[in-house]
Amino acid sequence: MPVISTAWLNNYFTDYKYDEMFTPEMEVKPHWNQLFNGLKDLGEEGLKTRQKDIDWLLSENGVTYNVYNDPKGLHRPWNLNVVPCLLHESEWKTVSEGLKQRAELLNLVLKDIYGDRKLIKEGIVPSEIIYGHRGFLRQCAGINYSTDKLLSMYAADISRGTDGRLWVVNDRAEAPSGMGYALENRSTTSRILPEMFSKMNVKRLSGFFQEFNQMLLDASPENKENTNIVILTPGSHNETYFEHAYLASFLGYPLVQGNDLVVRDGFLWMKSLKGLKQVDVVLRRVDDVFIDPLELREDSHLGVAGLLDVVRRNNVAIINPVGSGVIENPGLIPFMPAIAEYFLKEELLLPQIASWWCGQEKERNFVLNNISNLVIKRIDRTNRESIHFGEFLSSEEKEKLKLEINKRPYRFVAQEKISFSTTPNLANGKFEPRNMVARAFSIATKDGYSVMPGGLVRVARDRNTFRVSNQRGGTSKDFWILEDTPSVETKAQYLNLNTSISVSGLNDLPSLTAENLYWAGRYVGRTLVNARFLRMVLKQMVLVQDNNEKPDSLKLQLLYKAVTQLSGTYPGFCKKNKKGEYAMDNPYEEILSVILDKDRAGSLAHTISMFSNSYYSIRNLWSSDMWRVFENIQKIWKNFEEDSDRSINKMIKVLNQLITRLIAFMGLIEESIMVQQGLLLYFIGLQLEQSILTITKCRSLLTIKYDEQVEYELLEYLLVSHESLNIYRYSYRSYIKIEHVIDLLLFDLEYPRSLTFMFSRIKKDIAKLPHSNTINHLIDYQKYIFEGFSKLRLACAEDLVKTKSEQDLLRKDLDDLFEHLSTLLFKTSQSISKTYFDHTNTQNQLVRQSFPI
Amino acid sequence: MIFNIAHTTEYEYSSPVSYCHNIATLRPRESKGQELLSYEINIYPEPAEVTERIDFFGNYLTRFSLQSQHSVMKVVTKSKIIRDYKAYRESFFTDACKGVTLNSALAALQSNSPEIIEAKQYILESIFIRRTDKAIRDYAELSFKGERSVFEAAYELMQRIYTDFDFVSGFTSISTPIAEVMKEKKGVCQDFAQIAIACIRSIGLPARYISGYIETLPPEGQKKLIGSDASHAWFSIFIPNFGWIDFDPTNNQIPFDQHIVVGWGRDYYDVPPLKGVVFGGGKSELKVAVDITAENNM
Repeated sequence: MPVISTAWLNNYFTDYKYDEMFTPEMEVKPHWNQLFNGLKDLGEEGLKTRQKDIDWLLSENGVTYNVYNDPKGLHRPWNLNVVPCLLHESEWKTVSEGLKQRAELLNLVLKDIYGDRKLIKEGIVPSEIIYGHRGFLRQCAGINYSTDKLLSMYAADISRGTDGRLWVVNDRAEAPSGMGYALENRSTTSRILPEMFSKMNVKRLSGFFQEFNQMLLDASPENKENTNIVILTPGSHNETYFEHAYLASFLGYPLVQGNDLVVRDGFLWMKSLKGLKQVDVVLRRVDDVFIDPLELREDSHLGVAGLLDVVRRNNVAIINPVGSGVIENPGLIPFMPAIAEYFLKEELLLPQIASWWCGQEKERNFVLNNISNLVIKRIDRTNRESIHFGEFLSSEEKEKLKLEINKRPYRFVAQEKISFSTTPNLANGKFEPRNMVARAFSIATKDGYSVMPGGLVRVARDRNTFRVSNQRGGTSKDFWILEDTPSVETKAQYLNLNTSISVSGLNDLPSLTAENLYWAGRYVGRTLVNARFLRMVLKQMVLVQDNNEKPDSLKLQLLYKAVTQLSGTYPGFCKKNKKGEYAMDNPYEEILSVILDKDRAGSLAHTISMFSNSYYSIRNLWSSDMWRVFENIQKIWKNFEEDSDRSINKMIKVLNQLITRLIAFMGLIEESIMVQQGLLLYFIGLQLEQSILTITKCRSLLTIKYDEQVEYELLEYLLVSHESLNIYRYSYRSYIKIEHVIDLLLFDLEYPRSLTFMFSRIKKDIAKLPHSNTINHLIDYQKYIFEGFSKLRLACAEDLVKTKSEQDLLRKDLDDLFEHLSTLLFKTSQSISKTYFDHTNTQNQLVRQSFPI
Repeated sequence: MIFNIAHTTEYEYSSPVSYCHNIATLRPRESKGQELLSYEINIYPEPAEVTERIDFFGNYLTRFSLQSQHSVMKVVTKSKIIRDYKAYRESFFTDACKGVTLNSALAALQSNSPEIIEAKQYILESIFIRRTDKAIRDYAELSFKGERSVFEAAYELMQRIYTDFDFVSGFTSISTPIAEVMKEKKGVCQDFAQIAIACIRSIGLPARYISGYIETLPPEGQKKLIGSDASHAWFSIFIPNFGWIDFDPTNNQIPFDQHIVVGWGRDYYDVPPLKGVVFGGGKSELKVAVDITAENNM
């Protein structure tokens, strides 16, 4: 193999360690050849373009990794490098055999720890390593599980050791993350590098995910036809929430939060729209101690009170079982060879990182004497703050650490520094070596463990960084295991999941999802109606000389007041504020605040952020097209916030963009989500909101009689803001008259923007809700809508526009009608919430306490 | 002596509770010199289900849930126990117990016998007693010395806590950190027990928390008031090759028969008499009454 010299490889090595792709002589290793040639053919520019495509695809699909307290905001895009990491099957085979053995060993350890504790009793493992580990939950001891394997999923971080073999550096068992990202990385990379992916005999992941699904089904304590599986997430603020949602939609199981579940009569139930539905299996991404506030952390709102007892009765399976966190325990590493001997009479197949547990005197002394060359960790804390790199500690810090170790030695483990191998990464158009770690995944199957042929490869942020972590801005790679012969694709590349299990109807919709959809509808409606009204007002403001003083014209004053009433940003233009200032004296300032002040309830910015929150928390229902538009809306708004141009014309331009995208978005929702997935709730929310706002708008502009000219203009504004001027002209072909406007906007049975039409639509939609009655007596929310609909049908515009006398300015009957309708809608919303979104019950502790376990 | 114990706990909520899950640690366990003769628990309103199990430490836990709406929850237990601690208590003052020095105790803890392994978990930090500071260790070291008898040191520690700390109810809550109790030198029986446990663990010996009752005897010639007895807590220290010995720092005594054991654990967290998660409820008001009567027919 010739030595490669390509511009983008210049200075690849400054000093050689083990590199995955290159030999020390810069020769490409054989199994990398095809990829290398493919990348070379693309050239520097081609590669950059592909990387851009990846970045675009990830951001379009909303692949994120949340970082707590991140100044960049919550939804940081996931980083995926265009260059995958390769491993030949011959090596992978050894590794996966080793992983299978280790998974089985840890499974036996877990069973033993929560069972007979022979490892402790027989002196194989010192008791402090288990009893002194916070992850050892005494509440879980003695539970009899129905599954053969207690450890259903196991993840290991592997990296190259000094001898060039792959070593285990971390065990992950509590709620291992990364599987979904690995899948997403594969789906993205295979699309971006199709010419290489298709020719290189890359092992496929689909078989593994089929086994994964089977594992979940088999975990059910009761063998039945329709196993109910849910994925429990801590919520959309969790760092790996994207993955929870991704797996939920990939596997087709409901994504739920603790609030969606409840324990009754010794079983676990999901609160669905129809009522309670029994749950058999929970794939959980909530950490051990948060899973049951009754028996574990009392202050947790992420879990389900009483869940552990359901587990104890064998009425539900949790994957992985609560308490698995105890084997995420570097204290066990030095004892793994003895454990392997004890349980299996085998030697460990996979090397593991050298570790010294400080609970033993000899080991402790070694650690204290060599602290500068070691990495010190707690046995039960794997977060970065609890990891100390000896070489970077000042002598003062070292002494402090030594003191800590001496005080509670059993808590500490020292490990050698990981040596890492490097793998090529594309950075600024050049290949650069990066330290890499791979996370490998194993799952329990009928006969042993099965290992994902691939995994999640993560590399350091830059060439000098040796720690690898997502939180620190590292990047990830697809991980290709290459075979010599073409991979036979037994099934389609996409999962052929057992379809009898899901396709759940509206009845089974988790009530929290239903609520989010309902509010999504309401907020999208609110954003649109307010944006249109504000745009119309801004267009009037453009015509005024000076918007920093009180407007002369009555019509403008009325429009401003309507803004306050519609957005609910009181006192606004209606009254002086507490400081005695009157917004009407400086309309520009106030309008700006109503649009941009996101801390002000009712402002457009605030409504948009509520809209985004409700959408983000149901993201597993979204199509990628929806993401694209959603991201686009966010971008428009963000750019506007950062822009210094605050001219009225600029604002009109932004609102134009916003309105167009919102409409596109609404169109997409209707075609991307099915009614039984919950779209019905979205429609109900949307129609309710639009009805409420239509009433508010009309009430502000129609109930007081003004002189003809003012009234004419107000009617025109109303029609414009309602996007109904053209329809009006088409329908009436006349001078704008209030009777006709009322007919069109309120009573027209055929016109989708009229109130009567919307009421009729709501009437039809709510009849489909699970508790509605279509035969006998209507239930509350149906009654309210029916009453409103009848009122509208019975009203007559000619009568409503009259005032009591010529001198009287208030159109009393019209005003009363509006008030009545508003009340009915308010009651409808309350009744729907009460019937379907059960929240009245806040979770409290009998004895208030909160302690970390 | 035979004791009848009636223990009533009542919660009254300001707004209705729609359902709740609870765990009670109220059934007295068997312990040295103590046997349970009978026990019943009654819960109002009628719970949808009640289950009982033995926890990691060997205590009886009763789990129940109320699934219909209620504004008051009442838990009443009636236990009958027989207690005869005298013989065991007398053995403390023999050489087999008193002869164990701190150094020999620490050495004995290195063994891997089942009894030692079981006891050693009570040296480790626990949920309420963690990150104890130097003040605790300094306080302990005044009594515990290498060649001194562990029993005598523990006895002295109990006396010192009794003398140095003021019994002030309401000053601390279950979430008051040990360090603060140590600094303020005020608290109730739970705090004193936990201070002692923290001290003993700081020098490397096992200590556990005992939850129970104490029979209060009325002043000579007066009639005992109903409900005047109380839940109580004290500590126990492990002396290798001898066993566990209880001390009551609140009353400055080694328990007699009046100390009735309900359960034990690493600290209060492991054996709260009643805990739970309620849905709804608003504010709650708690009433507890304990009545202990001795049957004098022995």
